[in-house]
Amino acid sequence: MAADNVPPLDEKAKRTRELLASFYSPDPSSAAASSPHAKPASLDSINSPAFDPDIYMGLLVQKSNLEGLLQKHVEMAAEIKNLDTDLQMLVYENYNKFISATDTIKRMKNNIVGMEANMGQLLAKITSVQSRSDIVNTSLFEKREHIEKLHRTRNLLRKVQFIYDLPTRLGKCIKTEAYADAVRFFTGAKPIFEAYGDSSFQDCKKASEEAMDLVIQNLQAKIYSDSEPIEARAEAVVLLKQLNFPVDSLKTNLLEKLEDYMSKFQNESKEVEASEPDSSGPSKASIGKISKTVRAYLIIFPDSEKRLIELAQDLFTRCYESIQQSIKKRMPSADLLAMLRNIAEDVTLMDNVLPEAALPAFSLEAVRSIIRQYISTAFSYLLLEVSEALTKIQPKPKEALEESLLQMALEGSKKAVIQGSMDLLLEFRQLLDGDLELLAKLRDLIIDWVQEGFQDFFQKLYGHFLLLSGRSNITNQDSSITDSIPVDKIQTGLVLVLAQLSVFIEQSAIPRITEEIAASFSGGGVRGYEHGPAFVPGEICRLFRSAGEKFLHLYINLKTQKISILLKKRFTTPNWIKHKEPREVHMFVDLLLQELEAVAVEVRQILPRGIIRRHRHSDSTGSTNSSRSNPMREDKLTRSNTQRARSQFLESHLAKLFEQKMEIFTKVEYTQESVLSTIVKLCLKSLQEFVRLQTFNRSGFQQIQLDIEFLKNPLKEFVDDEAAIDFLLKEVISASHERCLDPIPLEPPILDKLINAKLAKNRELSSNSHSR
Amino acid sequence: MQGASTGIVYGGLKYQARCIADVKADPDHTSFLAGTLSLREENEVHLIRLLPSGTELVCEGLFYHPNEIWDLKSCPFDPRIFSTVFTSGETYGASIWKIPELYGQSNAPQLEQLVSLNEHSFKIKCVLWWPLGKHDKLISIDEGNLFLWSIDSSSKIAKVISKESVGMLHNLSGGAWDPHDRNAVAAICGSSLQFWDLRTMKKTNSIEHAQVRDVDYNPKKQHLVATAEDECGIRLWDLRMPRLPAKELPGHAHWTWAVRYNPEYDELILSAGTDSAVNLWLASTTGHDDSAAESLVDSPTRNIDPLLNSYNDYEDSIYGIAWSCREPSMFASLSYDGRVVVESAKPYIRTK
Repeated sequence: MAADNVPPLDEKAKRTRELLASFYSPDPSSAAASSPHAKPASLDSINSPAFDPDIYMGLLVQKSNLEGLLQKHVEMAAEIKNLDTDLQMLVYENYNKFISATDTIKRMKNNIVGMEANMGQLLAKITSVQSRSDIVNTSLFEKREHIEKLHRTRNLLRKVQFIYDLPTRLGKCIKTEAYADAVRFFTGAKPIFEAYGDSSFQDCKKASEEAMDLVIQNLQAKIYSDSEPIEARAEAVVLLKQLNFPVDSLKTNLLEKLEDYMSKFQNESKEVEASEPDSSGPSKASIGKISKTVRAYLIIFPDSEKRLIELAQDLFTRCYESIQQSIKKRMPSADLLAMLRNIAEDVTLMDNVLPEAALPAFSLEAVRSIIRQYISTAFSYLLLEVSEALTKIQPKPKEALEESLLQMALEGSKKAVIQGSMDLLLEFRQLLDGDLELLAKLRDLIIDWVQEGFQDFFQKLYGHFLLLSGRSNITNQDSSITDSIPVDKIQTGLVLVLAQLSVFIEQSAIPRITEEIAASFSGGGVRGYEHGPAFVPGEICRLFRSAGEKFLHLYINLKTQKISILLKKRFTTPNWIKHKEPREVHMFVDLLLQELEAVAVEVRQILPRGIIRRHRHSDSTGSTNSSRSNPMREDKLTRSNTQRARSQFLESHLAKLFEQKMEIFTKVEYTQESVLSTIVKLCLKSLQEFVRLQTFNRSGFQQIQLDIEFLKNPLKEFVDDEAAIDFLLKEVISASHERCLDPIPLEPPILDKLINAKLAKNRELSSNSHSR
Repeated sequence: MQGASTGIVYGGLKYQARCIADVKADPDHTSFLAGTLSLREENEVHLIRLLPSGTELVCEGLFYHPNEIWDLKSCPFDPRIFSTVFTSGETYGASIWKIPELYGQSNAPQLEQLVSLNEHSFKIKCVLWWPLGKHDKLISIDEGNLFLWSIDSSSKIAKVISKESVGMLHNLSGGAWDPHDRNAVAAICGSSLQFWDLRTMKKTNSIEHAQVRDVDYNPKKQHLVATAEDECGIRLWDLRMPRLPAKELPGHAHWTWAVRYNPEYDELILSAGTDSAVNLWLASTTGHDDSAAESLVDSPTRNIDPLLNSYNDYEDSIYGIAWSCREPSMFASLSYDGRVVVESAKPYIRTK
């Protein structure tokens, strides 16, 4: 113990403790574990348990010399001495402790004596206290019980009194309309009635229930009556609810009534709108009433809000639906504006009452779709109008008004396009200018829609044109097989009208519309910049420019096709090798001229006159008058001579090289002359090709010569490009010359005679028809 | 689209001419056969060869032909054999000729007539070889009949295997043999294009309403044909859907006379017209389904011009065009004035 108290553990104390620990520890291994020095010890370490003195000795003797051994001996002797003193001290300290323990035990024994007597006294006192309190308790018990009983009876009596008084009290309450008190009383008494209502308080219960029925009736009446203040009605509902009255059915009743009323209003307003759209008087009155009711119900039935919102939305949905119905018909935008304005007013009224219904957003949505539909229907009507203007003339008999029929169609459709789109723009501007708040919000959208509408309209118009011209089956063959019109049934005149109309749209209508749009429908841009503006006039112009050209070519194509068939028949049917001597100009010439005349009539109605621009090609160069195209001169030469013939071919070849190339197929312009001359040129070229496919005898060649000679003058009347016609006619003659076995032309006098005969005959015919 | 005059010109034909054919069976040279059409003179057949330098056309052989030539086809398996259809006044005929061995002498030796196809009673329009190689049969078409011949060129015998009359009302004017099916032939007949099965000699299919001048089968894809028409330009048809054309190309300012698919790049189409021009078209037949589905109405900018080039350095109508099989980018054209021009379409061929 003394060693523990010494804070600095000197070497000796540490050793003592270690020894003590090793002594007391039961397990030598744990002692060994506790001392770190024991671990690496092996057989030769003196402290380890496995120490073997013999081995140690042996090792020592082997390892050390004598001096070392002596030194070791001295060391060991000192250690042994040390250990002895340690052991002695241990024994001494143990003994010391033992003595002090014995002293303590002795003192304890002395103190305990005398405690038992005190305890006995304490016990006796406690038992006496207990017996006294028991006595007091028993003596007071009876009285206390009596008092309690009396008290209970009194309470009971009071309650009975209250219940007997209840009917009268309720009556009093009804009289003063203090329904809240009545309900409170009744609900207070209710448990008792439930418990004893069948026996002792039967009358009383009946009377008070009757009174309560009256209360309920009064309350109901109160709720139903619109004149009562809203707070009172709300209170009545609360009271009824306290009385377990089925308030919900009451509520639904009321709401249904409201709904009925609303639908009635709806019908009324529909009628009103149908008859005169701008009378807003009655509708305003009733919507005011509805909104008042809704407000009341909102307060009366706080939980009915959802239903009311539904009702309100329903009401306006129906309103907008009716508008949508009415815009399916064509109507001026002023009417639409008036209708929208009415509804907008109603919406604001309702919104004040029922802000949760989000009616403005709702109606914005509805107005949006209405406007959108309005715009699109307007455009579809416009499309219909234009197509009617184009086609309504078709079914009429052609002979009656042939002169101006196409012109009428063109003018009508032109007017339909420009006037129609101007009117539309006017209408749409009214929409924009309308002072409606909703429309102001939609301004950008409306602008976009109008632009989109025009874009779409013109694209559709283009599609419609294609359909009318019968070309659409090429572009989308799968979808429109059924409605594509076969080419031969199309009026070729209509194609020409379409061509000119396309030009008109490109050159006048689009710029004008673009201008208008720029003036009043600029802005927009809801679509975002990446899409660009919705209406792209450039694109439409391109579309219609190409369409115009396409239709013009189609027209020329249809016409030449027709004439081609005529020519084909002429050249494939007869046997040209066995042709008989020409007696007169062949009648196909008449047919050809007739066809051309018909073309001229159509063209003159539609297309403008061009600037007269004579192609005096041959006059300037004179090269078309080459040997090649003047075969008659060469016929006098001997033709059997091969050498001669070959040189002739080469000569014509050379002549051709020097000749300025005749531009036969020039670009077609939108003028009467250009279209006509293109058709004539194409026909003459076809004629040449047909001739090249045949082989003629002399008479066949002469017949061709005669026919062509006759054609020369009438053709020039159609065409401004005389040089080209001359050239082509000569080509035909030279082609037939080449294809003739025996090319000897008719003598000029005979030629003149036959032509004059034909002219005389024609004159006679025309004079006959005139006189008739 | 003014075509620069890049072509190599051969001016050796002294008369007017309509027919030119590629000598398919010659593996070593790019050569063409052209026949003249002269009513009153002695006609010639020229064997024209493109020198390996590719810059000059030379006359490899010149042969006299007894009559004016309306149709000329080279035999697809023997470079020295070809067929002609000819008329002389009212008489007509069709023959198969053999070019004699040229022993250095090119001054017009006589052609050796192998066979004469003389069973025809109407005016003969054309003779067809099966385009893709050795086949011992031949088709000839006259105005009213379709003949199938069995040809033995070594023993110089031609036998009619079968013959079918199309009726007096119809008027056959030409045709083409399907390279994908040896038993199918297309015949141009008045206002329709008729397809015949040679085994049964029955009509199997027809395209109505077309005024066809020329017809050509797509060499790579079955069922596709191109037609050339007077007014309507070029139409491409899928024979499985003969009601409407798969594609239309505008064609020429006047009639489109001939149309030919390139033997290698089947979207390249060559057409010749009476407006003195040869047009090179790009018609991607592979994508024609898509382009038909998309309506062309929507955006005109999406339409790429199918016309690749217009070669119009000619003086007269062009009736004959032929692609070279040996060099598929080369083609020869023959205008009526007897000028042969060989051009390269190389700049317009897309590398796949």
